[in-house]
Amino acid sequence: MRKYLAFTAKAFQRTLTYRFELWVELFINVLFMLIYVCLWKALYTGKTAVEGYDLNGILTYIVVSQTLLSFHFTLRIARVIEEKVRTGEVVTDLMKPVDFQLMLFATGIGTSFHTVLFNMLPKLMLFYVGLRLLVPSSILTVGFFIVSVMLGYVILFSIEFLIGILAFWVVEIRGIYFAVIWGISWFFSGYFLPLEHYPVLLAKIAEYLPFQAIIYSPTVIYVGGITGKAVVRVLQIQLFWTVALIGLGRLVYRAALRKLVIQGG
Amino acid sequence: MPIITVENLSKQFTVRERPGGFWSGLGSLFSRRHRVVHAVDDVNFALERGELVGYIGANGAGKSTTIKMLTGVLVPTSGKVNVMEFTPHRDRAEYTRRIGVVFGQRTQLWWDLPVIDSFELLKHIYEVPEDAYQQNLAFFSELLQLHRLLSVPVRKLSLGERMRCDLTAALLHSPEILYLDEPTIGLDVVAKEQVRQFLKRVNEERQVTVILTTHDLNDVEKICQRLIIVDTGRIIYDGGIDALKQRYGRTRMLIVDLARTYSEIQIESADVIRREGNRIWLAFDRDTISASDAITRLTAHYEIQDLTISEPEIEEIVRHIYQSGITA
Repeated sequence: MRKYLAFTAKAFQRTLTYRFELWVELFINVLFMLIYVCLWKALYTGKTAVEGYDLNGILTYIVVSQTLLSFHFTLRIARVIEEKVRTGEVVTDLMKPVDFQLMLFATGIGTSFHTVLFNMLPKLMLFYVGLRLLVPSSILTVGFFIVSVMLGYVILFSIEFLIGILAFWVVEIRGIYFAVIWGISWFFSGYFLPLEHYPVLLAKIAEYLPFQAIIYSPTVIYVGGITGKAVVRVLQIQLFWTVALIGLGRLVYRAALRKLVIQGG
Repeated sequence: MPIITVENLSKQFTVRERPGGFWSGLGSLFSRRHRVVHAVDDVNFALERGELVGYIGANGAGKSTTIKMLTGVLVPTSGKVNVMEFTPHRDRAEYTRRIGVVFGQRTQLWWDLPVIDSFELLKHIYEVPEDAYQQNLAFFSELLQLHRLLSVPVRKLSLGERMRCDLTAALLHSPEILYLDEPTIGLDVVAKEQVRQFLKRVNEERQVTVILTTHDLNDVEKICQRLIIVDTGRIIYDGGIDALKQRYGRTRMLIVDLARTYSEIQIESADVIRREGNRIWLAFDRDTISASDAITRLTAHYEIQDLTISEPEIEEIVRHIYQSGITA
């Protein structure tokens, strides 16, 4: 356990080396969020509520989901694995007494911890100062929200891990990476729009995919879009995806390893 | 009891052949031709604890493949590898704690962080006790003059500095065996020498068993007691360096500065293989003619100013073996 914490600490430390990049990222994020806020304000003129969201509700949803989206930008585990396979560094990793998946997860946590501190929290605070956003109805809701964010994070990690492992078989994973993470995941994770606003069929599809568990689930808990038993149900679904995707990741990794040690990569 | 035993070790790869050109490239989508490459072919050797062995061969001779099988990241096609009672690829988790590995072309240090941070991380990965870690760090820092480098980010190190740090990184957990794949590749003469002397000391003072692959024969000539030469996957020589010279280095070279210019030079049982002005290079077989006889014959007909006799370089011997195969 101690060794994985060391990975987390080093990854956190490493992100500190690239400060300028992070400020630029934060600035662009905030700019995009401002645009969304203006858009929703314009759309809501003359209306009090759409699909259960009033203006403050939808703005809170957008600010929270956009904040959570930052994990997508900084985690980049798929790219890390691709790089390791391409350069052959993966062989060096194999020669160490560490679990590959856990090591990458620990590294990811270190990077994302930095994202939370220097990107997400400042953004959230900024918008709370500038807008009249909702606050969660109770401490319990905050607790559920945090658990839900963590489960969503592990799901995002696991999907990235699975895509990254494909690099053992195909030379170029960039296409798949963009299609899944910046295409399908963006579309079905509900970062741009609550899933309630989706056409029925698309919302139904989204419900059966793991992507909605990354952003939509925690956000809808935060804004109070669901309460009581429905929250527990959402957390259960998230837990299901977490366990399933971690397990799948391990299986696929084992197959990749077999290929590597037999064919030499 | 040997620390490493390799028996009938073979590794074959299936290489997919893709013909060039558009149409034939398109054709390869439907039918694929495969070719089997014998990267390592029936290799046998055993190493005792504390040996320092040079594993040498040209590019593609199967050196790296062998190292990968010894370190457990590649599964043999057939044959057996036994290292300290482990079967490397099967017992990797336990086994890797007790070996150190350095790849000359790669680094295991974190590119963006100061060197010391990678060392600290390795301390945790291998669960090295703090006092043992401090002791090792002090020992290697002293030996390799790392003090100035520890706070420098790895990306700012020169290749030689990086290699010194990588050597330390591989040894912080006090491994019993150190595998090095081309540790001197790309280094300048001074850095190469530093690496060699370091390996020699680690081997002598810490009884670490060392196997290094290289195609720079100076590496092995200076520090290895034993030499394994491989060619196209097979071992073609396994033994001491002196014995190799004894067996194959029969050719001696006489470098002579003549006092004046001769249009033609002919010596019985010796060949002029090079000529530059008044300097000539004379090769002879030490079993056919002794050095003193060769000099006597030379001075009988020509006026000479100066001369030196040179022993064959190990490089020359190995080149000769590659070209003409091993002869008993």
